[in-house]
Amino acid sequence: MEVTMALFITKRLLMALATVLVVAVLAFLLVHAMPGSPGAVSLGAGASQEAIDEVNQRLGWNDPLPAQFITWLGSAVQGDLGVSLIDGRSVSTDLASRLPVTASLAAGATILSAVLGIALGVTAAVRGGVLDQAIGGFVGLLVALPAFWVGVIFVYLFAVQSSIFPATGYVPFDVSPQGWALSLALPVITLAVGGAAFIARQTRASMLEALQQEHIRTLRATATPTWKILYVHALRYASLPIVAGIALQFIGLFGGSVIAEQLFAMPGLGQAVQTSVSTHDAPAVQGVVVIATVVVVAVNLVLELATKFLDPKLRAS
Amino acid sequence: MIPTVSPAPADADQAGSTTAAGASVPGGGKAAPTRLSRHRLLSSPGAVAGLLWLAVVVTASLTAPLWLPFKTEDQDFTAVLSGPTAAHWLGTDELGRDILSRIFAAAAGTLGTSMITVIVGVGLGTVLAMAAAGAGGRTEAVINRITEIMMSLPGTVIILAVIGAVGTNIPMVMAILGILMSAGIYRVILGQAKSLQSQLYVDAAKVDGVGPLGISVRHVLPGLANTIVVQAALIFAVGMLIQAGLAFIGFGPPIPQPSWGGMIQGASQHVYDAPWMMVPTGAVLALTVLSANAIGNALGKAPNAAAPHLPSAAARRQRARAVAAIAAAAPAPGDGAPGDAPKGTLSVRSLSVGVGNAGTGNGVRLVTDVSFDVEQGTVLGLVGESGCGKTMTALSLLGLLPSGVSVTGGQILWNGKNLAAATDKEMEGIRGRDIALISQEPMRALDPMFTVGYQLTATIRRLRGLGKAEARKEALALLEKVGIVDAPRILKTYPHQISGGMAQRVAIALALSGQPKLLVADEPTTALDVTVQAEILSLLRALVKDTGMSVVMVTHDLGVVADICDQVAVMYAGQVVENGKTQAILDNPRHPYTLALLAADPHANHGDAMPERLATIQGQVPQPKDWPSGCRFAARCQFAGSACTEPVPLLASGTGDGLVRCVKADQLAVEGMDWMATDVAAARLLPVTPVSPTNTTIVEKDLA
Repeated sequence: MEVTMALFITKRLLMALATVLVVAVLAFLLVHAMPGSPGAVSLGAGASQEAIDEVNQRLGWNDPLPAQFITWLGSAVQGDLGVSLIDGRSVSTDLASRLPVTASLAAGATILSAVLGIALGVTAAVRGGVLDQAIGGFVGLLVALPAFWVGVIFVYLFAVQSSIFPATGYVPFDVSPQGWALSLALPVITLAVGGAAFIARQTRASMLEALQQEHIRTLRATATPTWKILYVHALRYASLPIVAGIALQFIGLFGGSVIAEQLFAMPGLGQAVQTSVSTHDAPAVQGVVVIATVVVVAVNLVLELATKFLDPKLRAS
Repeated sequence: MIPTVSPAPADADQAGSTTAAGASVPGGGKAAPTRLSRHRLLSSPGAVAGLLWLAVVVTASLTAPLWLPFKTEDQDFTAVLSGPTAAHWLGTDELGRDILSRIFAAAAGTLGTSMITVIVGVGLGTVLAMAAAGAGGRTEAVINRITEIMMSLPGTVIILAVIGAVGTNIPMVMAILGILMSAGIYRVILGQAKSLQSQLYVDAAKVDGVGPLGISVRHVLPGLANTIVVQAALIFAVGMLIQAGLAFIGFGPPIPQPSWGGMIQGASQHVYDAPWMMVPTGAVLALTVLSANAIGNALGKAPNAAAPHLPSAAARRQRARAVAAIAAAAPAPGDGAPGDAPKGTLSVRSLSVGVGNAGTGNGVRLVTDVSFDVEQGTVLGLVGESGCGKTMTALSLLGLLPSGVSVTGGQILWNGKNLAAATDKEMEGIRGRDIALISQEPMRALDPMFTVGYQLTATIRRLRGLGKAEARKEALALLEKVGIVDAPRILKTYPHQISGGMAQRVAIALALSGQPKLLVADEPTTALDVTVQAEILSLLRALVKDTGMSVVMVTHDLGVVADICDQVAVMYAGQVVENGKTQAILDNPRHPYTLALLAADPHANHGDAMPERLATIQGQVPQPKDWPSGCRFAARCQFAGSACTEPVPLLASGTGDGLVRCVKADQLAVEGMDWMATDVAAARLLPVTPVSPTNTTIVEKDLA
């Protein structure tokens, strides 16, 4: 069992590595397809062709593509993602300072979505009847509401009408934990609206499926109290797809934070990708894509291990 | 937010199979292919409203130049940032442009480009799924790997990088979004495509020399139609949201061309001074997304979702009211002297079970007027074909009828107490402690997520009030009692790690853990190998002898009846047609149905040599809605006559205390008729007056 587990993890790690590599190649090619050479981008309009050529030469832009990729990969592995063409800052340093913002946002929104979603989904499945229909309708509405629209409405309600929360900006945790929490509140709630709806649906469906299993009847036939059937046995059975749904939500929110970061002026990865795409800052775009992929792949890996731990069938094999 | 680039769980019923990232759902996730159904679409008010709304938006948008009051770029500086007015029904933006005009001018582009995502995503996903399902093996593994990688990409970030490379070329971006989303669609469709590929008619077509492409297009694709349309509707909605999201962050169509996302972005700049502007565009976008989702959900709804074994709170309240009605209607007979009835006896009196609730009486009947008695320490067999109401009768004894099915009349007297009128709380006191259940599929009866030890000790602690250590000791003792030799090891296993026979022994141990007086066994040996069947039966026989409990044994196997039952009640189409002592009934069956069952049993032919041709019973058990008012077996009976159209009472059969429900029972007994194998039966048929059109056709078929 120890050996098979080690083998499983090794296989999954290799798979994850392959994914990151594929994305790295993809990002590299995309960046090369961007209009404008690095020299032209970094020197801006009005630069002489000689100056542009000189910069391109220095950055290795004219080398064969495979060689360029190997060079990039070589430094990327050592944590060096190059420098921004716009302001000359290290991409790695910049992204490192942005990662906590997006991570807090995505983690906060995921936790809030999970709590609300599981509560709504379980209630709908367990209570049934009118309440189920009401929750179903509510959740259907939440799914259809664009998050950016919801976000603006929240700003209007909580920051404009009553200034409970700051409308924009981000306060780092080490500056002021309370300010950090307040600055995260609106973006996190905004992102959690759709996430909670998604998880609520997943939870309701999984709970209903669990309750259709025959062993539920055995539990009733042995006088198991209803609360225990629902919250120990059925919820345990439903936990696998729910956990998968939560992980998927985290992945989605991690990427989806672009809009929340733009809306609430949060200096995160999403904002970085938005600006660097607008300014054709190739190394920055490439860096963000790779970092985001690493995070997503890591979450998937954790999900798979969690699934393996949660499912006795997988755990044993 | 740009939503997750993977299909959202469409709808409750579908979501189970739309589960994310390869997490396996134990036992679940087999998506039965459903045909595209216009009925499902039109029977959902939401979907109809959605279709109407989409039709309105598309029509309004395509005809926009003809009726729009303003051009999209017309600026009315007298009405900047105005709310709804007579001139501008939905108000104006910061440049005095008419919002209504801009919304509908933008609609065609938004809907059209979202369709690109749908066509690319669903098309690619379907083609990949059909290829993988058709080729299987390596091809499937490779496609699985590729889609796995695609699904673990940060979709939004990649889309933005693509925008960096190709610019805001929206059709192109939406097509690439479609490619990214195809992986999720592939996952949803693959399971169904595989199940379609494994259908017998596909094998037959292969034998006929139909090529893989022909198979996919002619036999697999039609079966996928519904899923494809469902996915298309949901992807359409996601596509619109993503496109609007991109426009919102500035990657929309070039200014001044209007787009929904861009208009919301513009409005968000004025949330301080003109909050109204947020409303129209947001509402139109949300309604359109809602419409697409409603259509997808209506089509994606599984037509016959299984009923939960634990009904929802709402359903339980409803049932409690029904039970109260029954209790009020029927005065409990034991009320006068509860001590009257001897301990451990069960008397079922005129029990009726039906779909719907007691009192209403207009639902479908499943069991009607069933009566039988079980003395302490005896075994009663409920025999009959599938669909005769045996299991429903058995489950009603524990108050464990499926959701939507309930006792509609009669009494279940357990020690004089009417269980049909007992509340769920009262039943909880009876279940496990007085009356226990073992079911047909032992593997499915045990909780796959917990060890045998946990399930057994928790039950023992609950039912017997023992401490942890004592419960464990008792669990070991019980496992040994049911014939498990390495009990300590079995305690540590999960249900999937043991064999079916072993699991049934565990299930029996679980049922015994409350020291019940009555065991309800619903076909406990049907799912097991023949040798294991015999072991389980002898175990049950020994348990009855040792513990003095009684058993209600549901079975369709007369061998089981002969082996273990003291009494038999033969059920047909929701009625008891004959009951009495096992020996009497097997030796001297009085009802044609019993006769037919015996004649059709290769092991029960009076010790004679095996007949050359085994008898069969033509036709099928009628559906409850087709039950005639007369004898329900008449349509399939070799001896049916005109008298059989009248309702038949259950009368003394003349052998012992047996009862039989057949008007011709005496005549048949005198004439000593046998149920014949059908090809010779024609000559032996009694003069038959057709009792119903169905009967005629069956008789004619028999003669042919």
